[in-house]
Amino acid sequence: MLSVPYRTLIALSFISLQAKAAMPEAIVEIKNHLFSPQEVIIPANKKVRLVFINHDATPEEIDSFDLNREKVIFGNSKGTIYVGPLPPGTYRFFGEYHPNTAVGVVRVVRPEALPDAD
Amino acid sequence: MKVFLPALLVVVTVLISASVKADNFNVDKVYHPYVLPFEREFEWRLTSRQNDDGNVLMQRFSYGHALSERVVLEGYIVGSRDEYDDFGMEGYELEIRWMLTEQGKYWADWGALFELEKQHTTDDWEATAGILTEKEFGRFSLTTNFMLVYEWGETVENEFEGEFRMKYRYRWIPEVQPAVEFYAAEGYVGVGPAFMGIRRFDGQRQLKWELGFIAGLNGDSKDHTLRMSLEYEF
Repeated sequence: MLSVPYRTLIALSFISLQAKAAMPEAIVEIKNHLFSPQEVIIPANKKVRLVFINHDATPEEIDSFDLNREKVIFGNSKGTIYVGPLPPGTYRFFGEYHPNTAVGVVRVVRPEALPDAD
Repeated sequence: MKVFLPALLVVVTVLISASVKADNFNVDKVYHPYVLPFEREFEWRLTSRQNDDGNVLMQRFSYGHALSERVVLEGYIVGSRDEYDDFGMEGYELEIRWMLTEQGKYWADWGALFELEKQHTTDDWEATAGILTEKEFGRFSLTTNFMLVYEWGETVENEFEGEFRMKYRYRWIPEVQPAVEFYAAEGYVGVGPAFMGIRRFDGQRQLKWELGFIAGLNGDSKDHTLRMSLEYEF
């Protein structure tokens, strides 16, 4: 069972998903070498923009073999990783500079399974 | 994809075979169009080509350093074994790789490559400009390199040459990613299996390896190239 703050963070990520019709966007913040939210839910079979906002002073390198992406996010800066279109599944990513704390997953679900799809 | 790949192969092979004859093509590596900021690396490459004329062994040692978020500069020392079986320096090379598009943003990812090479003992030069592309198909990736090479100097004829390299890779696990590689240049067409992998250590340190066995299909009774490389990023 997820804790309340954790569920809130996941819910917040959905809000940004509605952003631009052409390309959904999800925001992940980096604070104290932790991703927030740690789980990002995106629709299947769509290209999605993952925007990482790094509030730490030091850079972080997002790395994911599952997503086939590698990207450095400079300190106090933001960067975008484009993923998809992906089939449903779980795709892990981590921060190369802080692999023990900076870990996260992208969960790809069918659009009708998104929590705000009614 | 079913039509695109064979069509691409046919067009490139015909275009390249229609050019002038080859003089010094060597199977090397297929470049990916990606650059990372802070990228620093040492690399060692070996190619051993065995054909009817004997064995040509080549090794390259290089150091690379990212100049910006999208550009990396790499310096090479090239060594080769001569006809007396002595191994020595053959030349030096500067290479710039430029990541043109953000990975995944467009239909395919694009990069550019520029190289300048000088022979050690003669005043012979070679300049190369290339376009690098990569396209994902699920867990597969298709990487292509289109190169235009100009040679000039005291012992080589001034001429343009074209080269095409392609890799179709399956991203199985980080350590082992099997692929098929295809090379075409003036008078040379080769294809064969290849493998690459990556092993991560603490922080940004990682070791990449590549191994390929390319069979020449251009008419020689025997023409095989073994290529391998180790790249340490830190």
